[in-house]
Amino acid sequence: MHDMSHATEHHAHTPPQGFIRNYVFSLDHKVIGKQYYGLGLVAVITGMVLSWIMRIHLVWPNFAIPGLGLLSKAGAPGGIVTPEYYLQLMTMHGTLMVFFVLTNVPFAGFGNYFLPIQIGAEDMAFPRFNMMSFWTTFVAFLVLIAAFFVGDGPPLAGWTSYAPLSAVGGAAGPGEATGQTLWAISIAIFCIGQLLGSLNFISTTLDLRTKGMTLWRMPLSTWSWFITSCIGLTAFAVLLPACILLILDRTAGTSFFIPSGLVINDKLQPHSGGSTLLWQHLFWFFGHPEVYIAIVPAMGIVSHILINSMRRPMLSHRVIIYSLLAIGFLSYMVYGHHMFVSGMNPFSSLAFSFPTLLITIPSTVLVLIWIGSLYGSKLRITTASLFALGFISMFVSGGVSGFFLAQPSLDIYLHATYFVVGHFHMVMGVAAIFGMFAGTYFWFPKMFGRMMNETLGRVHFWLTFVGTYCIFMPFHYLGLAANVRRYSAFVDDYLQPLLGVHKFITIAALFTGAVQLIFLYNLIHSRFRGALAPANPWEATSLEWTMPSPPPFDNFGGRHPVVYHDPYQYGIEGATNDYVMQDSPEEIKSVRDER
Amino acid sequence: MSHANVSIATPQPVGVMESSPFSIPSKKLVMWLFIVSDAVTFTAVLFAYGYLRNATPNWPHPFRFSPSIINVMVMTFILVTSSFTMLLGVRAAKEGNKSKAILWTFVTVAAGLVFALLHIREWMGLIGEGVRLFQNPWGSGLFGASFFSVTGLHLLHVIGGVAVLTVVALGYKRGRYNSDDLEIWGLYWHFVDLVWMFVVPFVYLLNITRAS
Amino acid sequence: MKTAEEHKTGGITKYFVVYLAILVIAGLQIVIAYQNIDPSQMIFRMFALAAIQAGLAIMFFMHLWTEKRVLMLTLAFATIFVITTMNMIWTDSFRLLGGVPFAKYQ
Ligand code: HEM
Ligand SMILES: [Cu+2]
Repeated sequence: MHDMSHATEHHAHTPPQGFIRNYVFSLDHKVIGKQYYGLGLVAVITGMVLSWIMRIHLVWPNFAIPGLGLLSKAGAPGGIVTPEYYLQLMTMHGTLMVFFVLTNVPFAGFGNYFLPIQIGAEDMAFPRFNMMSFWTTFVAFLVLIAAFFVGDGPPLAGWTSYAPLSAVGGAAGPGEATGQTLWAISIAIFCIGQLLGSLNFISTTLDLRTKGMTLWRMPLSTWSWFITSCIGLTAFAVLLPACILLILDRTAGTSFFIPSGLVINDKLQPHSGGSTLLWQHLFWFFGHPEVYIAIVPAMGIVSHILINSMRRPMLSHRVIIYSLLAIGFLSYMVYGHHMFVSGMNPFSSLAFSFPTLLITIPSTVLVLIWIGSLYGSKLRITTASLFALGFISMFVSGGVSGFFLAQPSLDIYLHATYFVVGHFHMVMGVAAIFGMFAGTYFWFPKMFGRMMNETLGRVHFWLTFVGTYCIFMPFHYLGLAANVRRYSAFVDDYLQPLLGVHKFITIAALFTGAVQLIFLYNLIHSRFRGALAPANPWEATSLEWTMPSPPPFDNFGGRHPVVYHDPYQYGIEGATNDYVMQDSPEEIKSVRDER
Repeated sequence: MSHANVSIATPQPVGVMESSPFSIPSKKLVMWLFIVSDAVTFTAVLFAYGYLRNATPNWPHPFRFSPSIINVMVMTFILVTSSFTMLLGVRAAKEGNKSKAILWTFVTVAAGLVFALLHIREWMGLIGEGVRLFQNPWGSGLFGASFFSVTGLHLLHVIGGVAVLTVVALGYKRGRYNSDDLEIWGLYWHFVDLVWMFVVPFVYLLNITRAS
Repeated sequence: MKTAEEHKTGGITKYFVVYLAILVIAGLQIVIAYQNIDPSQMIFRMFALAAIQAGLAIMFFMHLWTEKRVLMLTLAFATIFVITTMNMIWTDSFRLLGGVPFAKYQ
C-alpha cells in the first residue's frame, strides 16, 4: 500500500508528462472525474439502446431489429427478440443504469471533479486510490459487458438478481451459466471500486478543507457527496459479501441461496437448505441505500444550481443538510419495503412500512424548502436551472407513488406491475439524470473552458421533459390496470386493451432518446467550438468559480484560498456585485452567513 | 514532506487548512473507515451463517474438545498474543526504538503465519473427515459452506495482514515508512484479531460435540 | 501527537492486563460453551463476552480510548447503527426450516 504513505507527498505543480500519465492512469481528480463521466456516458448510451430494443419488441413483436441477430443468434434469431433475451436485455439495462450511470456520474464523476475544488483542496487525499477506484470500476464494466459475448449471453435475473434464479446456474435459462457469473463478479469488483472511492471522499472532505471552510460552509453539493460516500461505505460492504456467496453458490456447489427440493426443468437441483430470502435481505440492505446513493448527489447539485439561479440562499441551509442526513440514516431502516410480497415475515412488513413512511418526511421537507425558496425569487432561466426545476418536478411526481408503495396492503397489488417501474424510473432514473444534465450544463464551462449552446440546451430540456413524462407517467396507469412487469409480450387476455398505451410509450421513448442526440451534439460541438468560457460565467460564489476555466493542473496554483463566507452569499445589498465570493474578504452584514 | 500546504498527514500547518475534526492523520482515518466497512462485511457474512444455521434442523456439531477446541484455544492464544506484540512494536516505533519495533513486528508476522498454518492444518483435518463446501458426513451441507466462507474470509485477512506487515516493517527499516504507517497497519492487525473473537464463539463454540 | 505521548507515559502494565483479560474471557467462553444452558442464553452470553473482548481491543490495543472522543463516538455510532439495522434479517430465519417458509408451523 505504497500510495497511503506517498499520497502525502504528492505535490506537483507541474502536470506529469506523457499521454498515459495525463489521460489514462492520471492521478488528477479532474481527469478521473471526467473518466467517470465518460464511462457513464458510454453506459447510458448502451443502456438506452437496450431499452429501445425492449420497447420496440413489446409493441411490435415481429419487428426484426437490424444487427441484433449477429449479437446473439439464439437470443434474437433473425433480429426477433425471444422472451428470454428480452429479460437478458432488461437485466443489462438495469445493471448498467443503476450501477454504471446513476452511481458513477452524479457521485463519482462530478464528486471527483468538484469536491476537492469546492473545499479548496489541490486534489483528493489519496490520488492513487482515486485512480485505482476508477480503473476498478472500469474493469467491472468490461466484465459486465463481456456477458453479451460469452455463452448464451447476459443473465436474465434482473438487476436485483434474485435467487434461486441467479444461483442455480445454466439450468435456469440462457445467460444463467457464464453470464450470471460474470454479473456477480462484475458487481463484486464494482463494490471494491466504490468502497475505495468512498474512503477517499470521506477523508478528503474531513481533512483537506482550506482555511475558513468549516463544515457548514461547504456547498450543498459537497455535503451531498460526503453523505453519499458515508452511505456507500457501508452499503457496498454488504453487497460485496453477498456477491461472493452468490459466486460460491454458482461455482463451488454451496447453497446459501438455494432451497431444498428445488426442481428446475423437471430436474431436482442438487442443493439443499439455503434461503432465497437471505439473498433478498442482503441485496436490499444494500439496494435501498443504493437508490439514495443515486439521488442524494443530484439533490445537492440541484440545490447548488438553484441557489445560483435564484440569486438568494435556500430558506435554510442547515435544514437541507439535516434532511439529507436524515435520509441517509433512514435509508438503512426501510429496505424491506422491496420485499413485501417475497414471503418475508408479515410482521417485518409492518416494521419496514413505518420507517418508509417516515423517510418521506425529510424528502418532503427538502421539496418544501426548494419550492418555498423558489417562491417569489427572480429565477434566472438557464438550461441548468431548467433541469434543476425538472428534477424537482420528477422527484415529486415519482415520489408521490412511494407513499402508496410503502403500504404493504397496497403494494401487494402493485409490486409486480408497471406501477413500480413508473415509480422508480421517475424518482430515481429520470430525476437523477436531470440532476446530471443540470450539473453538466452548469459545470461544463468550468470543466472544458467553453460554454454550451443555451438555445440547444433549452430545446433539449423541453423535449426531454415532456418526453420523459410521456414515457413514465402512463406506467402508473398501466400498473393500476394490473399490467405485470418483466413480461416480454402482451399478446393475450386482459393486457390487449393496454397495447395502445404501450405503443404511445414506445414512441415517446424513441422520440426522447432521439432528442438526446441534441445533447450529444451540444456536448461535442461545444467542447471544440463553444464560446470561450470566462472564469465565472454564472456569477457564482463557490470556490470552483474563483479559478480559470478550465482549472489549472493544481487547481489553486499552489496557494491555499482562504474562505470568509458560506457558499451562498447572493443578493447582497451594498456589495460590489450582487454576490460575494466565498474567498472574498469583503465584509458583509448578512444574517445568514454560516460560520 | 517538504511542502507545508499539502501535508495531509501529521501536523497541519496552522492557518492554511481547517483542522481535521478527529485530529488524526488522513491515513489513519482511512484505516478506521476501512475497519468500519470491513466490520459490516464480516457482520453480513456472520449473519448469513447465523440465519441459515438457525433455520437448519440438522446442523452438525463436529467440534470435539480434542483436537478441535484445543486447537482453537491455541490459535486464539497466538492471535491475541500477536496483537499484543504488535502493540509493543508500535510503542517501540513511537519511542523511536527502530530495531525493537521491527523485531516485535516480525514476531507478530511470525505469529500470524503460525496461526494461518494451524488454521490450514485444521481445514485439512476437516476435509480429511469428509467436510466439503456442500456436504459432510454429519448433517446439513451448509455447515461446510458457512464454515469455510467465514473462516476463509478471516484467513484471507490474516494472510493479507502478514504480507502487508512484512512489507511495512521492511520499508520502515529502510526509512520508506514511518512509525505512523506501522501504527496504522497495527490497527488493521488488531481488527483481524477482533473479528476472530466473534468467529470463535459463533462458528466453533456453538457447534461443539456434546456428550448427550 | 497527544496519543504518542500517552503511549510513553501509559506504561505497559495496563496493556498487559487488557491482554490477559481478553485471554481470560476467551477461556470463559469455552467454559460456557460446555454448560448445559438454553441456546438463546448461550448465544447471548457468548455475544456479550465477545463484545467485551472487542471493546477492550478497540479501546486499548487500538487506542480509541485516548483519541478524541468524537472519533470514538462517530465510529461506534456508525458501526453499531448499521449492524443494528441489519438485524431485521432474523425475523425470517426464525420461521424458515431448511429454507421453507412456515415449515415450523405445519
Ligand atoms: C418518497 C419516498 C419513497 C418511498 C416511500 C418509496 C417507496 C418504495 C417502495 C415501497 C418500493 C417497493 C415497491 C415494490 O417493489 O413493490 C419502492 C421501489 C423502488 N424505489 Fe422507492 N420510494 C421512495 C423514494 C425513492 C427514491 C428517492 C428512489 C431513488 C432515488 C427510489 C427508488 C426505487 C426503486 C429503484 C425501486 C424498485 C426497485 C426494483 O424493484 O427493481 N424510491 N419504493
Ligand atoms: Cu427502497
